[in-house]
Amino acid sequence: MAAFLRSKCSSVGRTLMGGLGNNLFGAVNSSVQAVSRPSHCDPICQQIRTFIQMRTNLKVVDNSGAKRVMCIQSLRGKKGARLGDTIIGSVKEAQPRGKVKKGDVVYGVVVRAAMKRGRNDGSEIQFDDNAIVLVNNKGELIGTRVFGPVPHELRKKKHLKILALAEHIV
Amino acid sequence: MRLEKCWFCSSTIYPGHGIQFVRNDAKIFRFCRSKCHKNFKMKRNPRKVKWTKAYRCLHGKDMTQDSTFEFERKRNRPERYDRNVTEQTLKAIPLITKIRHDRQKKHITERQKQGKTKEQERDAKELEQDIQMLPKKDVLSTQKTKVMVKVSQQQTEENLMEE
Repeated sequence: MAAFLRSKCSSVGRTLMGGLGNNLFGAVNSSVQAVSRPSHCDPICQQIRTFIQMRTNLKVVDNSGAKRVMCIQSLRGKKGARLGDTIIGSVKEAQPRGKVKKGDVVYGVVVRAAMKRGRNDGSEIQFDDNAIVLVNNKGELIGTRVFGPVPHELRKKKHLKILALAEHIV
Repeated sequence: MRLEKCWFCSSTIYPGHGIQFVRNDAKIFRFCRSKCHKNFKMKRNPRKVKWTKAYRCLHGKDMTQDSTFEFERKRNRPERYDRNVTEQTLKAIPLITKIRHDRQKKHITERQKQGKTKEQERDAKELEQDIQMLPKKDVLSTQKTKVMVKVSQQQTEENLMEE
């Protein structure tokens, strides 16, 4: 439902921007022209931008069958997991006839985090939501597809399979 | 090394600066500083915020079309290193920037010329309409600004010539 609303709002925004579009505006700002404004029901407003810690709910962005996973343990450190870290979670919502069931304890890699994370060159990266890809305890993927953008930092963490399956690498 | 443009203010982002926000549809928004990021989070439109490049271009404040902008383009093909070409490019960079700055300066002076004439017209009109509001002394003094003065030098010169 939320996704539907969001797409609707963004399309409205795009048409508005199209109306405002001006030819005077040269090639300098073509990037600004091309984008539509994020809508009001953007998840960034609701998403808490903290570490992924115990009881954090994460969206599952693969086709393993799980829809929502709650973090029960971070395999990182005291504070919690960040972008690219591995966590242990419990499946809270799952699709019927998936590879994992509700109540399963699974491993997962955080592929998107709303908390900003420093990159190698000193800049920072931040995503819309907290998302996870399920893996087994050896780091092999459970699903066969990965949805949405993933950061290239996963290469450093040796999750090459996720990068290979990803739609977009940023 | 790639220099990106800020989504909000269109300034150049050098490596290691700013923040990237990736929306779930994989659209990347790059911001040069927290000021721009905050303005984005407040859902402000860069075209309506006066200090952004977008606003200035849209409202004719800045030069938008110029041949010097053609050099600054996004190229996805890596260039093969050539010593001579690099040298020439490095030599050309300051020259091009100088030309661009001069043209921008010219653009601004031309843009402001209109305002100046308008201001003068407005002042003249105001003086004409409200001249009775001034005290009489001042009115007289303003009227008596131009006084014919006989130039004595010319005569002396002529006199000298005659002599």
